[in-house]
Amino acid sequence: MSEIALENLGKTFGDFTALADMNLTIANGEFMALLGPSGCGKSTTMNIIAGMLRPSHGAIRFNGQDVVDVPMAKRGVGFVFQNYAIFTHMSVRENLAYGLRAQGAPGAEITKRVKAFAELLQLETMLDRPAAGLSVNILQRLAIGRSAILKPAIFLLDEPLSNVDAAFRAVMRSELKSLQGQFGQTMVYVTHDQLEAMTMADRIAVMDHGKLLQVGTPLDIYNNPADTFVARFIGAPGMNILDGRLIQKDDAVSVEVPGIGSVDLPPALQFAARDLNGSDVQIGFRPEQVSATGSGLTMRVGLVERIGARTIVHLEHEGIAAKAVLPADVAPPVARKDWTFTVPEDGVRLFDPVTGQALKARAH
Amino acid sequence: MTKVSTIEPVAELTDAPVKTGARLGLWLTLPAQLLVLFIALFPILMQVYISLTDWSPLDGIPWWRAHELWTGLLNYADLMADSRFWGALWRTFFVMAVCVPVQFLLGLGLAVLFVDDFRGKRVLYSTLLVPMMVVPAVAGYMFFMLFQSGGPVNDLLSLFTSDPVRIAWLSDPDLALIAVMLADIWQWTPLMFLILLAGMISVPQDQQMAAILLGASWWRRFFTIVLPRMKSIIIIALAIRVIEIFKIFDTLFIMTGGGPGVATETISVYIYKVTQQELIWSYVAAIALAILIVLSVVSVFAIKRMQRGQGT
Repeated sequence: MSEIALENLGKTFGDFTALADMNLTIANGEFMALLGPSGCGKSTTMNIIAGMLRPSHGAIRFNGQDVVDVPMAKRGVGFVFQNYAIFTHMSVRENLAYGLRAQGAPGAEITKRVKAFAELLQLETMLDRPAAGLSVNILQRLAIGRSAILKPAIFLLDEPLSNVDAAFRAVMRSELKSLQGQFGQTMVYVTHDQLEAMTMADRIAVMDHGKLLQVGTPLDIYNNPADTFVARFIGAPGMNILDGRLIQKDDAVSVEVPGIGSVDLPPALQFAARDLNGSDVQIGFRPEQVSATGSGLTMRVGLVERIGARTIVHLEHEGIAAKAVLPADVAPPVARKDWTFTVPEDGVRLFDPVTGQALKARAH
Repeated sequence: MTKVSTIEPVAELTDAPVKTGARLGLWLTLPAQLLVLFIALFPILMQVYISLTDWSPLDGIPWWRAHELWTGLLNYADLMADSRFWGALWRTFFVMAVCVPVQFLLGLGLAVLFVDDFRGKRVLYSTLLVPMMVVPAVAGYMFFMLFQSGGPVNDLLSLFTSDPVRIAWLSDPDLALIAVMLADIWQWTPLMFLILLAGMISVPQDQQMAAILLGASWWRRFFTIVLPRMKSIIIIALAIRVIEIFKIFDTLFIMTGGGPGVATETISVYIYKVTQQELIWSYVAAIALAILIVLSVVSVFAIKRMQRGQGT
């Protein structure tokens, strides 16, 4: 069991900064997802933790101990590769036993542990099969078992589901989550798929361009994105971000979106925005929170996608695009007509139009 | 009733075009196939024919009338009792048994060194491949010069002894073969290195990473991941060298001409001498066929064994 602390961790390749001053502490036994688009630095972070890459600066501590100079073979880190890197020229049994043999465990111990893990992972019927012809879910289990058998304190998984088709991914997600429950290790999971991160992780670290943008529980990140990138990246579809202007009338502050309408702010945001009358602001709201009743904002309806449980409505006004997600039982608006909708006060988020940072809600 | 009548025509429709298509394909490719068969088979059939006669180009009759000199299996009976032939065959296998393992181990060692990056790798890499590009006849001449009794090899050895070394490498029956084998190792280790390096580079990096993360030492990784994954390419490299060494001729011929005596006479040199110097063509045909049969049988067994080894 291990706590991982990354302190001012950075990696540059020539002029290119792959990772810039990352600070992140992953608690013992936690399932942490590193989430971001390709090239965001999540794999670099993972490889540095594993010891495949040496950081340009900063420290990595396992339980407080700096491991930058510890070679990867000695870090006690389990690693599941994107393509599993199963030794396909060996049998399932030989794959499971590989680490124990390499570390010189006695033969009886190896036999015992391999048997125990084969049972745990439901591999006992195929122990003597060559690993070459196995299906993807078995390969995944074998890859996890091959590392887990050494009881590593830390488990790193590099996009293990990206080679799997969508239907199967759901099965594998739940399998992975239950395996983590059984082993109880600290897990770091790299993915570009927010659904995987949202469903499996205890906390998510969202990264982009080598920077850590936000760390939080899945719901926290969904509800309170730290900036417009996280807001757009999380959720399917992502949060709507519209340019607007803060208007103060008497004591109430609202946001006016030119040509579209205005939205009232919840009390906490009103307080935060009170001194900013007349300044530009970006307003964000989740498509799922759009309500077809009432008035407030008006946009023209484009495409209407009915996908069973819900309907996605594409909205447009003079080049500004937004989306609304309606439950299936709500009659969708008519295409190519103006449509008026409301956003509930507590669904509104505000962002700085220059930095993209969220305006923090403040109590009095 | 209606059901049956609808199913049957469908079955015929899907079957018929496949069959006619295959037959048409056969007819269209037949001329090319016959040509290939003829090119491959004709020289062998001609050899079989001539080996059963006593024909030689000096007899004044064209080869297709060689049956006038029919001798049956006499050439083959002579071959069985030909100690010079057996000596040459044994010598060829000896050179093979020494050179191929040495070239393999040297090539493998070099490949291990070159699989990782280091300063000056490109220059050294090109330099290492130079011997392979030297015309074998030229290599033969180079080594002929090197191994003269007053040549650089003896000069080099003299550095370590009080008296100047004056070994007559190429005229000593035992040392001549060693000199010839050294020349072959010099020239053909690079090929082994090149093939093995290509194989080593193609061993998946993530598998090696996985093995490192599981705590495997370099030697364990080398023997459990790298070598097993290189198996097919190793077989190819060994097969190429075995076949090539069986035909060893040019370098050797220029260095020693097969001598002194028959001390370095390999199968190819022996065949050359019988053909060009003694002009007993029908006998040569018999030798060539005998070797072809032996080699075919050996290769079939070797390939079978390797395939079985690969399955496990």
